Amino acid sequence: MAALDPLAFVRSTPPFDALPPELFDGAARTLEVIYHPAGTKLVTVGEEPLRHLYVIRKGVVRLERGGQTIQVLEEGEVFGYTSLLTGKATLDGVVDEDLLAYRIPADEFQRLMTDAPFAAHFTTGLANRLEASLENSPVVTFRVDLAAAVASLVRRPAVWVDAESTVGDAARVMTEERVSSVLVRGETPGIVTDRDFRSKVLAQGLGAKEPLARIVTRPFRGVESSMPVHEAWTVLLDANVHHLPVIRDGEIIGVITDTDLLKHTSQGPVAVLRLVEKLPGRQSLPGYARKVTEMVASLLAGGLNPVVIAGFVAQLNDALMKRILHWAHEELGEPPAPYAWIALGSEGRQEQTLLTDQDNAIVFADEGASSGEYYTALADRANTDLAAAGFPRCPGGYMARNHCATLTEWRERFTGWVDDPSAQGVLEAAIFFDFRRVAGTLDLSPLQEVMDGIPRREAFLRGMVKQALEFRPPPLLGLRIRGGAELDLKRQGIAPVVFLARCYGLAVGSHARNTLERLRAATRAGLMGTDASANVIDSYRYLLGLRLRMQLKAVSVGKPPTNVVSLSDVSAIERSRLKDTLRAISSWQDKAAYRYQVV
Amino acid sequence: MLRLFSSPRWDLPVYWALDLETGGLDVRHDPIIAVGMVPVRNGVIQLGESFDTLVRPDPGRAIRPESVRAHQLLAGDLRKSPPLAAVLQEVDRRLEGGVLLVHNRGIDIPFLKGGHARSGLPWKKPRVVDTVDLIVKAASRRRFLRPEGETMPSLNLSEARRVNGLPDYQAHDALVDAIATAELFLVLRHVIGAKTLRDLR
Repeated sequence: MAALDPLAFVRSTPPFDALPPELFDGAARTLEVIYHPAGTKLVTVGEEPLRHLYVIRKGVVRLERGGQTIQVLEEGEVFGYTSLLTGKATLDGVVDEDLLAYRIPADEFQRLMTDAPFAAHFTTGLANRLEASLENSPVVTFRVDLAAAVASLVRRPAVWVDAESTVGDAARVMTEERVSSVLVRGETPGIVTDRDFRSKVLAQGLGAKEPLARIVTRPFRGVESSMPVHEAWTVLLDANVHHLPVIRDGEIIGVITDTDLLKHTSQGPVAVLRLVEKLPGRQSLPGYARKVTEMVASLLAGGLNPVVIAGFVAQLNDALMKRILHWAHEELGEPPAPYAWIALGSEGRQEQTLLTDQDNAIVFADEGASSGEYYTALADRANTDLAAAGFPRCPGGYMARNHCATLTEWRERFTGWVDDPSAQGVLEAAIFFDFRRVAGTLDLSPLQEVMDGIPRREAFLRGMVKQALEFRPPPLLGLRIRGGAELDLKRQGIAPVVFLARCYGLAVGSHARNTLERLRAATRAGLMGTDASANVIDSYRYLLGLRLRMQLKAVSVGKPPTNVVSLSDVSAIERSRLKDTLRAISSWQDKAAYRYQVV
Repeated sequence: MLRLFSSPRWDLPVYWALDLETGGLDVRHDPIIAVGMVPVRNGVIQLGESFDTLVRPDPGRAIRPESVRAHQLLAGDLRKSPPLAAVLQEVDRRLEGGVLLVHNRGIDIPFLKGGHARSGLPWKKPRVVDTVDLIVKAASRRRFLRPEGETMPSLNLSEARRVNGLPDYQAHDALVDAIATAELFLVLRHVIGAKTLRDLR
C-alpha cells in the first residue's frame, strides 16, 4: 500500500471509491480517526450499537457471535453497518490487533445510503454476513506467496523474561509489549502464552506471585526462518499450538502466531480448520465442500503441489469427521464399547483434493457385539451429515452404515480376501487395504497384522497386480489431437499408479497408505529401481496437478469436475509432458507384469 | 482542600496537533511556509476540522532551494497565500483553551514565538504536549521493565510511527504531518498508560 493519507485511503476503499465527488466531499468533512489497542471491545451484543461506519487502516477486528468468529476484518475492510442498518448490536466486535481506523458518523452514513451503488454494497451482502454457517462465510481475496519464508511474517523481535520471573511479571511485560506470548530464558528456552494464563493459572486457582516455571512450556516447537509458510501451517496444525518461535542460525528472531498465518491467508488451511472446529451444529454443514474447493483453488494458485494440498484437505476432513461424531455421541450417548471410524480409498490414502464419494466403515470392539444397533445409528447419522457437508453417498455402497462390524468380523473378512484372491475379493481388498483410522480409540493392529502377512502370499499379490494392470494408459499412437482424442486422467493415468503402488507397498510390508509413500517404501526395499521410481513419482504428481487444474476450471464455470481431458484443450508443452508421463507409467507396468508373471 | 496538583483526565482537553513547514531550520532567517492543524477531541481525531494553509513569506525572507525540494513548493504557490499575521491569528483562535500537540517542540515552538513577535502578536504560552517526550517516556518505561532492553528509540516521526505499528504517510505536508502526529499521540498515550494531562507532559 502506498503512503496514502487518511482521505486518499478512504477514497480508494470500496464502496467509497465509487461515490460521486460531492457526496464524498461531504463525507470527508465528517471523517474521524480512532485508535483502539488490542483487546478493546468495540461493541457487545444487546448493548449500545455502533454509531459510526469504520474503515480499517491498520489492525484486525474480529466479529463474533456466541463466541464463534464470524469474520476477521483487516486493512481496507469496512464494519459497523449492521449496527447502523438495524439500530441494534447484533455482533460482538473485538479489536484483535491494535486498530487505527477512519470513521464517519451515522447520519452521514444515512446520507451516503441515498447513493444506490453505495447502498447496494451493504444491503446485498447483509443476510449472508449475518449468517454464521460455512455456506455464507465470506470469501476473502487470497494474497499469499506460499513459498515465502516464515521469516517474512516476523514483525518484531521476540520478547523475553527471566527464568526467575513470576506469572505477574510475565503478564505485565506481555501487556506492555502488546504480545500474546513471551519467551523464558534458560539453558533450554521456554514459552508462555496468554492461553497458559487461562488454562494453567486461572483454571488452577494460581495467582500472580506464582513462579513462571510452573506454567512454562519447555522445550517448545520452533521453526527455521527459511521454512515456507505452507510448511509452518502444517507444523501449527500437527502440534496444535498457536505460537511458533522462528529460529535463524540458532537464534530466535521472533514469534509468529496462528493469527499471523490466518491473516496471511483467509482461506488457508488454518482458517478453515478453525471454522470447522467451531461449527455449532449440523445445520452449518452445507457449504463445507465449497469452502474446501476455494481453499484448494487458492493453494494451487499459490504454487503448492497437489500432494501437499491433499494432505491439508485430509486434515480438514478428519477434523470435520471428529466434529460430526462428537455430535452423534451427544445425541446417542457415549459408545458402549470402543470403536474406530475408518476412511477407505482416497480418503484413507490422504489423496483427496476435491471432495468425492464417501468411503468409510466402522469397526467396533467385540464387547459391543450386543449393541450393534448403536453403531448402525452412529453410522447413519455420520453418513447423513457427511452428505450434507458435500461428500456424496457412495454409489458402490462403501459407507459405514453398510459396513459396520466387530473387529473379529473384520479380521475374518481381511483374512478371507488374502486367502482367496478372486477378482471380486481383490477389488474389495483394494479399497479396504487403504483403511486409515480417523476417529475412535479401538486398536486396529489385528487388521494390520493380516496385511503384514501379504509379502508371503504370492497368489494374492499376483491377483492384485493382475487387477491393477487392467487399468492402463492408452496406446501413445492413439493420442492425436486431430482425432479428437480424449484421455481419462483417472482411469488411464492416476489409477494405474495408485493400484500398482498399493501392490508394491503391500509386497514389501509397508504400513503406508499414501501412494507416494508406498512407492518410496518399495524403492527403499529394492523392489523398484531409483530411476523408475523417480519417473513414476514425477508422473503421478504431474497427473494430479493437471487433473486438479482442469477440475477447478470446470467448477469455476459451474460444471461438475471431470477426469476427462481432451487433447485439443491442452497446450503443446502439456501434451508432450503428458506423453512422457504415460510412457513412464506403461514401462513400469511392463516390468511389474514380467515380475509377477501376469500377462 | 485546595487541589493544587489536580490534572484533568487526558481526554478532556482539546489537543491541536500542529505542524509547520519552514524554509529552513534557522529561526532568525527562515520563514514559516505552511501550517497544518487538526484537533483531537475526546480522544478522537476530527479530520473535518483540520486547518491547512500556505503562508506568504515576508519580503526578504528567501526560501532555501533544498526545502523547496523537500516540500515540493514553489514560490508562486506562496505569493497568493495569506500573510503570516493572518495565519497566526487563525492558529491562536483554535488553540484558545486547548493543548498544543507537536512533534519536537524544539523546532515548532521557537518558530511560532518568533513569528508572533515579528507579527506583533502576543504568544499566549499554551500548554504543550510533545510526542518526542512521549517516545522517550515509553522507552524509559520499557527499560525499567527490561533493563538490558533496546537502544535509544528513533525520534523521527515516520520512524516512530513505524515502530508503533502505524501506516506510512507522505511526509513533509504540514497537515498530513499534523495528522500523523495526532495518531502517534493516541498510540503513545496508550503505551505509557497516561490517565491525566500531567502524565503526558
